Amino acid sequence: MAQKEYDFKCLNCGREYRALYDIKNVTERTCPQCRSNSVRRMPEKKGAAKT
Amino acid sequence: MTNSEVESVSGFVGNFNVTIRKKARYVDPDECTACAECANICPVAVPDEYQQGFSSRKAIYMPFPQAVPSAYILDMENCLGNNPIACGKCADVCEKKCINYDDQDELINIEAGVIIVATGMDVYDPTEYDEYGYTRFDNVITSMEFERLICAGGPTEGHFIRPSDRKIPKSIGFIQCVGSRSRNGRGNPYCSNICCMNTVKDTLLLCDHYPGVEARVFYMDMRAFGKGFEDLYMRSREEGVKYVRGIPGDVSENDENKNLVLTVENTTTGRREIHELEMLVLSQGVIPRQDGDQIKRLLTLSTTSDGFIMESHPKLKPVDAPTKGVYIAGCVESPKDVKDSVTQASAAAARASILLNAGKTRVEAITSHVETDKCNYCGICADVCPYNAILAPDRKAKRAPTIIQAACAGCGACAAECAQDAIIMRHFRDEQIMAQIEAILEVEPHKHLLTFACNWCSYAGGDNAGTARLQYPTTSRLIRTMCSGRVDEKFVLHAFRLGAPMVLVSGCHFADCHYINAVHWTQKRMDRLWNKLDKLKIRPDRLRLEWISAAEGQKFAKVMRELENSVRSVTMEEMEYTMKIMAEEENRILEKKLKAAAKKV
Amino acid sequence: MANVAKDSDGLRIGVFVCECGLNIAGTIDCNAVSEYARTLDDVAAVIQNKYTCADPGQNEIKKAITEHNLNRVVVASCTPKIHEPTFRECVADAGLNPYLFEMVNIREQCSWVHQSEKEKATEKAKDLVRSGVARARFLEPQTELEVPITKTALVIGGGVSGIQAALDLADGGHQVYLVEKEPTIGGIMAALDKTYPTMDCSI
Ligand code: SF4
Ligand SMILES: [Zn+2]
Repeated sequence: MAQKEYDFKCLNCGREYRALYDIKNVTERTCPQCRSNSVRRMPEKKGAAKT
Repeated sequence: MTNSEVESVSGFVGNFNVTIRKKARYVDPDECTACAECANICPVAVPDEYQQGFSSRKAIYMPFPQAVPSAYILDMENCLGNNPIACGKCADVCEKKCINYDDQDELINIEAGVIIVATGMDVYDPTEYDEYGYTRFDNVITSMEFERLICAGGPTEGHFIRPSDRKIPKSIGFIQCVGSRSRNGRGNPYCSNICCMNTVKDTLLLCDHYPGVEARVFYMDMRAFGKGFEDLYMRSREEGVKYVRGIPGDVSENDENKNLVLTVENTTTGRREIHELEMLVLSQGVIPRQDGDQIKRLLTLSTTSDGFIMESHPKLKPVDAPTKGVYIAGCVESPKDVKDSVTQASAAAARASILLNAGKTRVEAITSHVETDKCNYCGICADVCPYNAILAPDRKAKRAPTIIQAACAGCGACAAECAQDAIIMRHFRDEQIMAQIEAILEVEPHKHLLTFACNWCSYAGGDNAGTARLQYPTTSRLIRTMCSGRVDEKFVLHAFRLGAPMVLVSGCHFADCHYINAVHWTQKRMDRLWNKLDKLKIRPDRLRLEWISAAEGQKFAKVMRELENSVRSVTMEEMEYTMKIMAEEENRILEKKLKAAAKKV
Repeated sequence: MANVAKDSDGLRIGVFVCECGLNIAGTIDCNAVSEYARTLDDVAAVIQNKYTCADPGQNEIKKAITEHNLNRVVVASCTPKIHEPTFRECVADAGLNPYLFEMVNIREQCSWVHQSEKEKATEKAKDLVRSGVARARFLEPQTELEVPITKTALVIGGGVSGIQAALDLADGGHQVYLVEKEPTIGGIMAALDKTYPTMDCSI
């Protein structure tokens, strides 16, 4: 479905990464580094240019 | 119904609505007399799965002579074309005209009060144990292949011959635990239960068919624990079968005679031995069904770490699934032999009969209802409900939704998502949970980890840690809800206001959610909460989320250990600041609500 | 909803602390927990038992409900997964609505997982009892919905287990659907030659 790239941050180990995600049809997230599920989807920065 | 698969399941105990896909068979089983004319004329030959590929069958075939129903089936994938111009030979010869190339899959709806899951197991494929040469050497076979070769109804009519030269081998070796009890990443760590005795049986069959044959079994431990098992094992030893304690490290092939040469450390004598054998049988383990996900998902069953279905309770409810009205039997639950399968099946049938005979049952009074005067007709609840149990009229109609009590499963996601607090979840009301939060944080709140756990998975995972006596710090204070989807934003905010250093929300993995997808709402809500904390300048990492299944006692204990340190890292100033900010925030929310209510009146 | 109003009118809560032999009492100081429970508001009776789920324990609950005129019951023992139904039935026998019962898990999630931290585990047990009592104050009687059961069974899988289960149910006079993925029933067992321990034919 509507997958887009988002920033994620693991609140357990601090690992940050970008990944495709569908915010309507959410799926399970797991930190690639520490396996925690406390993975926060960072708010999109409005207007800021994305690289 | 054979050749059929369960496509969808809805409803609840006593009232399951099941759709079954009856796959096209292309032969009418009621008409077919199994005369075999069709197969005789069919020009296509493919390996016969039933005979483990030792012989071939036609594209139209009977799985095996005693098959039930006793009827042919057309394997469309291998048929030359369901087009009389392409072939059509079988339809021509069929006297009863029971072959229909246009046969279609059929969807059948049934109502069922109870469901027994007996989907069985698969056998382990030993290819990855390359040192045994299963794919490289002709005369290395698996125990399933052994069955066909020794069977009078098999491809060799019971003559146990070796594939390379079709001669009857005089010496046969068995390697045990192939794919079982392995800790090195290949195969599975568990014991497959049946293979020891299966090999004992195989050696006895060999001794019986070919007196004087030399059989050698290479093993780690021979496990002969069941009734009559030790007798068989002893008989096998008396017949002269040699049992060598030690698993071969390497198998090679003698180029000339295609014999197999095994190098093994005999751990009883401590000596390295070389054995040359004419044939080798790999005693393959049992694995969970590889196509079992569909059923698991449809019936919200979860599995233990080995991939077999988890029972409701290992001792007290071994054939009940956690989903009420669903029972499990046979190897889908764990590897077991025929006797144990039959025992468990009868137990499951008996358990199921209790409900069937009663004709009625009570469902827990955990359902939601709407307080119409608080409702602002937003209709969100109807979107949230995974069961479509909420009927919300059009917003403009300004009427509160209705909740179909029999359809509500009680996850409480609607109650948590309703911003007006207009939905009350029976037995898990806001007041009840708030009272628990307040009571827990009444004494030394700064020291504790407030944990929410869902009834089915995370709470059960905590119990699992307890049953296994896994030790973890005493920091946590747990509150049970039916689903993590019930954990309202205000519960979390209130906990922070009362001085909680950290809050953990835990629930089922998405695939295990007992309320279809109520857990989605947990995830969305957590994102909202993290953003909110961030905005209020409170560290978002003080709110944690973990998915812990009922079998993951290890993970539960690990999370508890890890979070103990995190709790300690929260400073007193931080907590005081949080309490102040949250008090303001709660007042703000309260005022907003009061205003909205005033406006409505 | 900052502060939840307590409606304490006429609340009479009974707290039953279970020792579970040494399963709980071996780690947690149950006497201390009982003493503590007595200090909580609205608690009208605290009774400690060796095995609350056994008949004598259950009788104590029933007796206490009448003697102390209890209208809420809290049992601090094992996981509700095992004995919640037991105790719900027990309080119902004594004439109390089963939903006025609350269970506090001080075994699986306390004594068994903090075996070497006896004091802290006891403190945790007290906190959990306090939380259970707090929840009990807000419990309400509920009536369970009775649902009819369609007198038909579905068995998924036509191997030896599925066949056996289906036959048993059918022999018991029930209508059964047996669904098998393959074109024939029999499963793995049909592919075996002989089976142990009787060494007879498998088909
Ligand atoms: S509690 Fe869950 S199942 Fe019941 S109405 Fe609300 S969302 Fe639907
Ligand atoms: Zn991480």
